[in-house]
Amino acid sequence: MAIQVKVLDRPLAQTSYVRAMLKGMAITFKHLVDPHKKTVQYPEQKWDISPRWRGTHRMLTDENGKAKCVACGLCPQICPANCIKLVPGEDEEGNRYPLVYEIDEFRCIFCGYCQEVCPEEAIHVGRHYENAEYSRAGFVYDLERLMAQTHPVCEMWDPADPKGE
Amino acid sequence: MADVQLVNLTIEGRQVSVPAGTSILEAAKAAGVLIPHYCYHPSLSIAGNCRMCQVEVEKLPKLAPACATAVAEGQVVHVYSERALEARKGVLEFLLLNHPLDCPICDQSGECELQDYTYREGRAEGRSQEPKRFNPVEDFGGDVLYVTNRCILCTRCVRFMDEVAKDTVLNVSERGDRAVIGKFEGKDLTHPWASNVVDLCPVGALLSKDFLNKARAWELDRTPSICPNCTQGCNTILETRDNVVVRMRPRTNSEVNRYFLCDEGRLDYRWMNRTDRVEAPLVRRGDRLVAVDWEEALKAAALHLNGKRAFVLASPKLSNESLWMLSRLVEKTGGRGAFRVAHGPEAPLPGVPDLALRAERAPNVRAAELFGFTKSDTPLSALGSDDVLVIADHELAPADAEAVQRAASVIVIGTTLPEAARHALVVLPATNVAEEEGTFTNLRGRVQRYLQARSAPGMARPVWWSTGDLLAFLGERAGYFLASEAFAALAAARPEYAGMSYDTLGLKGQLLAGAAAPAEAARS
Repeated sequence: MAIQVKVLDRPLAQTSYVRAMLKGMAITFKHLVDPHKKTVQYPEQKWDISPRWRGTHRMLTDENGKAKCVACGLCPQICPANCIKLVPGEDEEGNRYPLVYEIDEFRCIFCGYCQEVCPEEAIHVGRHYENAEYSRAGFVYDLERLMAQTHPVCEMWDPADPKGE
Repeated sequence: MADVQLVNLTIEGRQVSVPAGTSILEAAKAAGVLIPHYCYHPSLSIAGNCRMCQVEVEKLPKLAPACATAVAEGQVVHVYSERALEARKGVLEFLLLNHPLDCPICDQSGECELQDYTYREGRAEGRSQEPKRFNPVEDFGGDVLYVTNRCILCTRCVRFMDEVAKDTVLNVSERGDRAVIGKFEGKDLTHPWASNVVDLCPVGALLSKDFLNKARAWELDRTPSICPNCTQGCNTILETRDNVVVRMRPRTNSEVNRYFLCDEGRLDYRWMNRTDRVEAPLVRRGDRLVAVDWEEALKAAALHLNGKRAFVLASPKLSNESLWMLSRLVEKTGGRGAFRVAHGPEAPLPGVPDLALRAERAPNVRAAELFGFTKSDTPLSALGSDDVLVIADHELAPADAEAVQRAASVIVIGTTLPEAARHALVVLPATNVAEEEGTFTNLRGRVQRYLQARSAPGMARPVWWSTGDLLAFLGERAGYFLASEAFAALAAARPEYAGMSYDTLGLKGQLLAGAAAPAEAARS
């Protein structure tokens, strides 16, 4: 027995798509000319991120291009994710410096404690995202790589009002 | 002791009775109150120059330095009264006038008394506008580095060298705010006990070159141990970081080493971290040594020993438990045992009676002799040609190599496989002193415990464990699983150790039965 399909007779106003399409196009057109539109043309355009944004790290350097870090060991101590590896050493002038300094950005939870605890203002979390890599190992940033980063760093507090008063 | 007069006083509301003549500081310690102090040290004379231990004593017009004030009947001492706290705050502020704020790069950071007390009682912010004094770092010779800027001039180091080491090297040079610790012309801190000034220094002014920049104090795990480098048996703390021994420091024991440890002892710890270790039991198959499990290796060793006499070459660096178990192996097979001990110059610490870096550089010579091992410079001379040679972690000198070849077969129980014993039939991996629990008997017959500081490599086991299991395969009772069990069995079997157990030994040790008299004689 052949299947029979019952076709209901509906008014044209309910079955025509012309009106719905015009409605949709009206919305599109409205967005096209809306002066308050929110769409950002990423990656050509980017949002301004907050000065307190905490992204991948950056090690600041002194005027001689050396890392400011003195290998005091406070950041590995305070790090809740245990992602900082530090081996202290001594350079030719008898100064303490990090022989090995590695941050596993995969383990990092970007709490910013390392920046807050650093007595030398050496390690900073950065105002930076876009961290794609081809391998997992690429996310373990060594000292050289941390020093080579150029992005702006997080401002933990307003420099004009450091105590937040 | 009966004629000692006791004085009653109140410290911070706590009643204490101490012998007459005790200082308030020591009495407060007995009451469980730590009065902050820098220049005072129980083993040194009272200097009273740091003014940090000032406390308020009722009915005294001025604050009293607790280290230099003797207790009196009915005294009422307030350590944390407003006046005392204010005075100490002032003292700390003056100490910090010239002290650099370089805690992040200072090795003492984390175990620094200046840090502790400033955190507890000091001013949070400095008020001084003047530049800080600057002096370069000076090498004091030996293992000691002097960071002049950090010095608070407590003179503990000067007094230690004068009074305890009796080798006057250090002095206070210059006066006033230019004062620094200096060396006398042409002298260096080369006294064999000089490194103790590093421990005595309450701040980071005197540093160990060996430990410099190596680790932070808060990263270290600390384990009570015994120095394994001579027969004196000084009490130590082994400090490890990531399972690596990085420092050895003295642990207080008034009966043995007081607060001190010699340089040679404290710097000789690197061998505990050796990485060229035997990690699995090995059995010879043809011309190769093959790794097997413990049971198979012990069976093979028992097979080689069966019906033969064992000649046990036992290291005097082994624990009491291990040496006793080896002596039972000697007994069981009707063999003999011998050892050699390395010698070096003896170096006494004049200020402490009966304390020296001893000539015999092994911790357990006394027990080895007690358990029937013969001390000899040529320990293998008595080795018979049909004996089974058991080398228990003993070092082989070049002269021994020929004798080792003479043995019918060789079994090695050791941390490493010596070159001269490459033809061993069975090799059983052993732990070293940092990796096991055990006891040593020092030259005065004091039995002292040490604890495990780092994990053993691979399948290595303490010698008493493997030897006990080996004896079980030879028909003795089953072996032991805990060092305390092995020691209990030793105490039951040997009259000298009768009544001892790990509980009674504690961490201060106990003298062998009948050993008290000679020790007392040597002391007086």
